[in-house]
Amino acid sequence: TMDKFRMIFQFLQSNQESFMNGICGIMALASAQMYSAFDFNCPCLPGYNAAYSMGILLAPPLVLFLLGLVMNNNVSMLAEEWKRPPGHRAKDPAVLRYMFCSMAQRALIAPVVWVAVTLLDGKCFLCAFCTAVPVTALGNGSLVPGLPAPELARLLARVPCPEIYDGDWLLAREVAVRYLRCISQALGWSFVLLTTLLAFVVRSVRPCFTQAAFLKSKYWSHYIDIERKLFDETCTEHAKAFAKVCIQQFFEAMNHDLELGHAHGALATAPASKAAPMPPDGGEEEREKLRGITDQGTMNRLLMSWHKCKPPLRLGREEPLLMGNGWAGGGPRPLRKEVATYFSKV
Amino acid sequence: MDKFRMLFQHFQSSSESVMNGICLLLAAVTVKLYSSFDFNCPCLARYNALYGLGLLLTPPLALFLCGLLANRQSVVMVEEWRRPSGHRRKDPGIIRYMCSSVLQRALAAPLVWILLALLDGKCFVCAFSSSVDPEKFLDFANMTPSQVQLFLAKVACKEDELVRDSPARKAVSRYLRCLSQAIGWSVTLLLIILAFLARCLRPFFDQTVFLQRRYWSNYVDLEQKLFDETCCEHARDFAHRCVLHFFASMQNELQARGLRRHPAGRSLEPCPVPEPPEDLDGGSGKAYLRAISSQEQVDRLLSTWYSSKPPLDLAASLGLWGGGLSHRAPTLALGTRLSQHTDV
Repeated sequence: TMDKFRMIFQFLQSNQESFMNGICGIMALASAQMYSAFDFNCPCLPGYNAAYSMGILLAPPLVLFLLGLVMNNNVSMLAEEWKRPPGHRAKDPAVLRYMFCSMAQRALIAPVVWVAVTLLDGKCFLCAFCTAVPVTALGNGSLVPGLPAPELARLLARVPCPEIYDGDWLLAREVAVRYLRCISQALGWSFVLLTTLLAFVVRSVRPCFTQAAFLKSKYWSHYIDIERKLFDETCTEHAKAFAKVCIQQFFEAMNHDLELGHAHGALATAPASKAAPMPPDGGEEEREKLRGITDQGTMNRLLMSWHKCKPPLRLGREEPLLMGNGWAGGGPRPLRKEVATYFSKV
Repeated sequence: MDKFRMLFQHFQSSSESVMNGICLLLAAVTVKLYSSFDFNCPCLARYNALYGLGLLLTPPLALFLCGLLANRQSVVMVEEWRRPSGHRRKDPGIIRYMCSSVLQRALAAPLVWILLALLDGKCFVCAFSSSVDPEKFLDFANMTPSQVQLFLAKVACKEDELVRDSPARKAVSRYLRCLSQAIGWSVTLLLIILAFLARCLRPFFDQTVFLQRRYWSNYVDLEQKLFDETCCEHARDFAHRCVLHFFASMQNELQARGLRRHPAGRSLEPCPVPEPPEDLDGGSGKAYLRAISSQEQVDRLLSTWYSSKPPLDLAASLGLWGGGLSHRAPTLALGTRLSQHTDV
């Protein structure tokens, strides 16, 4: 089953580009759908219009952005990598930056779509700026000076609400609506163009500058992700084996106890007597999976050490053996130097 | 090995077809976008032309950029363009070929938008209603020029009280729509003829060069994908071994404590890195992991991949890496690594 899991995992990883594109598309669609399901309801009152519209324009994008960050599993990975003690493995700020940038980029899609759809629809803009319409240019400009400012504001604030609008003698409602919606749509398309231009520039210009560093950051951030998952998997395996062996031992102790006829209160000393009974056939495999870690204290120490002192990124094939072998003494000497430079460089 | 084969087949079948699929998807999205967009001509003298032409040209530009963004090959092309030559010469013909293929696919969605807008006619009517010559229509004979201008500006708005149910408005609107549709169909015909000619006449010019460029641009794309895939695989195995090492080191530490009775409790001292158990690899044939197994080596590998790509000559690169990057790895591992690639 490990192999099957590995294959599926690998398939997802191999298709990561299309997987991520699919996620972005889905988030964009969800955002647009949310907007169309939302029932916009302009208050049509002078002071409240602007507040309501700006709220609708800005609060949901913020919520969507935070939601996008929260739903991304990698946020906890980033936080973990940021706050861990260095241990044997120094921290690379470039990797942290890469992880943060890629997460922020994914999380920005839904807010951008919301803002674009809001502007292209026009209701929000209409509600916010209806009191700022140039009445002199669009309507009966001669009647404006005779009107006190609060009255004018009250009148214009009702433009978004057709059923209560009573200012047709001053300014035809359709004219004002068309004017404001036209501006809103122009702003919306400009916003869309600007964001796609920005995204395009960032994506295309990056290979011109930091390609080598980018390859490294991408590799190591992917590595950190996989390592965390594999560690969790190994711990789960270990926990399963631990539990199995524990239960087996308990049953054996019970069995042994019954055989002895409760002669020595053997339940209390059950662990000590485990040497006597033969383990069943499957037990060997489980014990191997335990890798020698067989009690709570050691496991706790292992988990704490994993956090406090992550192992170095160097697989131990070349480790110097502590024997008086001339060949082993000569060979690893450059290795020592490499270890020193590794620490001082990083 | 068979995993590699399965993935390779998938990649090979999907490189061109994925790009075509994305192109069609974007075209479908464009149609949906146009039909759901609520056209709103301002019907004001100066704003009409701006709005109409803006709506005809801005969304296509944004869609073009989206098409470039969604296409992975654009990034591959820029990478190929900007990489240092290293051991592999750069061929500008390949870069030009990739550029033209990327541009062709990215142009599909904008053209769909423009054609839809022209065939529908609303944009055109809104933009050019003020520029119509009133002489063409008899209804304007008894209106002053300023009245005519005001009237013409509102042609696009059917419900406006000034022009509602006016035969003059309908006449102008019909005229402009007819013009717009004629232009739309002409553009469509022109594009299709161009595409047809380009397709049919290509074999007459430089067919061999074309085939070579197509092969090598496909190769560059696949190589990049396979490299990423190999890095993922390597990272996974590296992580697996690292975690197992960690567990093993705990085990050894326990044994060591059991044997030598060290004072306990200094959890922050540097953990002793033990000799690994012999059977960790399990003979699973991961030769490349044996060769590249530390952070420095991985970093060096990635830098070298960028700054000096290997030559497109498998026999030559065998001699090249013999004394090069992984000087510590035995030649056997190199042989197995390269033969792995040759099989693929």
